[in-house]
Amino acid sequence: MQSRKSKFIMLLVLFVFIFFFSNDFGLINVEKTSIITAVAIDYENDEYVVTAQIAVPEATDTNTENQKAQLSGKGATVGEALKDLGDVSGWFPKLSFCNLIILGNSLTDDNVIKAVDYFTKTLRVQDSALIALSEKNAKDLLTLATPLDNISSFALQKIILKNTGFDKDVAQSDVKTFCSDYYSISESSYMPLIKVIPAGESQKSQSSGGGTQNSGGMNPGTSASEQKGDKDNLFDAKTTALFLKGKKVGELDNNLTLIFNMLTSPIKGTVLTVKDMPDKNGEKSNYLLMVMRSIRSVKVKADENDLKVKIKINLYCKITDHTSKNSDYSLSQNIPIPKIVLEKLEKDLTSNIEELIETSKQSGCDFLQLKQKLYRNNYKHYARYKDNYLSVIKPEIKVTVSGQT
Amino acid sequence: MQKELKTRQVCLFLIAFTPIAKLFIMPSVLAGKANEDLWICTLINVVLDFFTIASIIYACKNTDKNLTQLLESSFGKLGAKFIVGIFFIYFILKAILPISEQADYVKLTLYTLKPTVLYFLPFFIVAFYVCTKNLRVLGRSADILWLFTIIGFLILFALSIANIDFGAILPLGANGVKKIIDGSYTTLLWFGDGAYLLFLMGEFKFRKNDGKKIILSFLISSLIVLLFMIIFYGTFTYISHRQRFAFTEISKYTSVINNLGRFDYIGILLILFSNVFALSVPLFFASKSLDYILGFSKKWISPLIVIGIQLFILIFLNEYYASVENFLMSKINWFFLIVGNILPALCVLLTKKESKKQYAIEKI
Repeated sequence: MQSRKSKFIMLLVLFVFIFFFSNDFGLINVEKTSIITAVAIDYENDEYVVTAQIAVPEATDTNTENQKAQLSGKGATVGEALKDLGDVSGWFPKLSFCNLIILGNSLTDDNVIKAVDYFTKTLRVQDSALIALSEKNAKDLLTLATPLDNISSFALQKIILKNTGFDKDVAQSDVKTFCSDYYSISESSYMPLIKVIPAGESQKSQSSGGGTQNSGGMNPGTSASEQKGDKDNLFDAKTTALFLKGKKVGELDNNLTLIFNMLTSPIKGTVLTVKDMPDKNGEKSNYLLMVMRSIRSVKVKADENDLKVKIKINLYCKITDHTSKNSDYSLSQNIPIPKIVLEKLEKDLTSNIEELIETSKQSGCDFLQLKQKLYRNNYKHYARYKDNYLSVIKPEIKVTVSGQT
Repeated sequence: MQKELKTRQVCLFLIAFTPIAKLFIMPSVLAGKANEDLWICTLINVVLDFFTIASIIYACKNTDKNLTQLLESSFGKLGAKFIVGIFFIYFILKAILPISEQADYVKLTLYTLKPTVLYFLPFFIVAFYVCTKNLRVLGRSADILWLFTIIGFLILFALSIANIDFGAILPLGANGVKKIIDGSYTTLLWFGDGAYLLFLMGEFKFRKNDGKKIILSFLISSLIVLLFMIIFYGTFTYISHRQRFAFTEISKYTSVINNLGRFDYIGILLILFSNVFALSVPLFFASKSLDYILGFSKKWISPLIVIGIQLFILIFLNEYYASVENFLMSKINWFFLIVGNILPALCVLLTKKESKKQYAIEKI
């Protein structure tokens, strides 16, 4: 009896396993899958145009590079445009590896969230994908060739995503952050604005020397000569586009973007320049200081009479370069920084922060999330200031720069 | 008589299984109701469960009988079957949403296109196996799986902590009492863990200090859930209500994941593995309840019926998922409150009567 029961169970398990493993699991043929590395969205003739940069792995060991291709789809929504992209190509667009979403300038005429929101509502895309605004057409950024990388979206990611050791000069944002800022109490969000800049002669020679491996990876439909000509482009993402309720209302220039980053994240490793400082002989020299430690706080304090934003920055810097005629030290030492240099830097940073707050007031974009701070930490006074907080807020700025003295 | 479980296993049962089902869509449901006050809603439900569990522990001190013996001695066999029948319905209803959450998770994250209905079949095979066994299977699996749950959580917490905006849960209570209560009331189906403990009553030897151990285990499991709510809202803030599969998302924003890839899936898969057994728990108790009510001679009949009901709901009501969800979260919350919290707490009254009877017998 026991043996018959065991046999029955074994047969049942076998049946279920055959039943289970004989289906296709709804998986798609890998050869019909396109791995999308970046997406560019433009708005043309009342339609969203989604251009995807696709990495096509080559099954050969002679060419170590990946080919790239761009495909475009159109639709009334971003979802439809993505679907159209699959329909016209026969490839199923796989967005799990899409790490960059570029918005075209044409989208800023309307609320950009209409295009961006899709990416936080679907599980098809990682909402940790970087987001950026193109100065012109987003599609052009993907089709441009650059000496920085064979695949332009990878080059863009290198520019936007700065790791430790690089200057924190790009106000990077991802889909999740952008959307959550949009839905926040401040309704203000930001993203880097990407500009295409022609490479200088030095870059040209660098690309011809170091870029010999970049000869493959032709953009379909682009001739070799065209491809070569395109290699003159570099990208700049140090400007920040500001959005209020999803509409672009202003920009932060290079300088203000750095100050904004200083107030929102640690900037260890970033270098700051102090120019025209008189030395012992009375001659002017320039100092390059590296931030070794940065402590910052932005607090909103409210009472019945006043609304203040208290900004504190405390930097510890080290000299990494100094223009002088006669040096008797090595830069590996933590050499003393003249007090006058520290004072000048403090003064410059203070005025930059004042300018940053003024930009926020002028544009109406509360990128420092002051309203949110008012709501979270001063809820008692929230109703009093919520409608005019930007016009009545008074900044109290304290910048301290220290170093070996 | 040899008891089915050890006190240790009851404690580990609470840690291994009770927090997991609360981490799929419940956080987003709560964020939709009470925004940054979601953790207060959770705290209210935890306090409710705390009182229920404390009452059952008190009952365990008074009697050595299990639930059915206790009910029979107070209400007779028919009355006992009626009450167990209510619990049968409770466990069936309680299992629906967590199972479909897990099925949805598997479908949406592991499959690119819509897979066949068979994709979730392995879960039901495991659940059927668990349901055909006696209580010892839960004890033994808890002995192992508590480690999976704890390690899984530690991995996810450690990876997500750098990106949390702890200020996001401020100001406290700004959404008002009405929204907070609504949030608590809507999510009752994920709580009511006292009902499980009620069915474990009398199945382990209750010794001195065992109550403290069980309460401590419950507090650990509640702390995991509360911490998770804060981390979840601190990560997603104003878009939290859209994050249906919260616990797989919170850890992916750390820079180490950007550089090394999604190794947080180690933690996620550990928790998912525990969840397979955690989801089987209500089905297990539903099977045992059905067995008691109808007295089947074969131990596989009631599991088959219970699994069949769940499979039917999952496959045939899938297209009406939003209506099912609405029904469970908005229409029958009172049922979850009564059966998950009030009825188990009331059992303490039966055991008081029982202990008086025992005292009288001992006196004679």
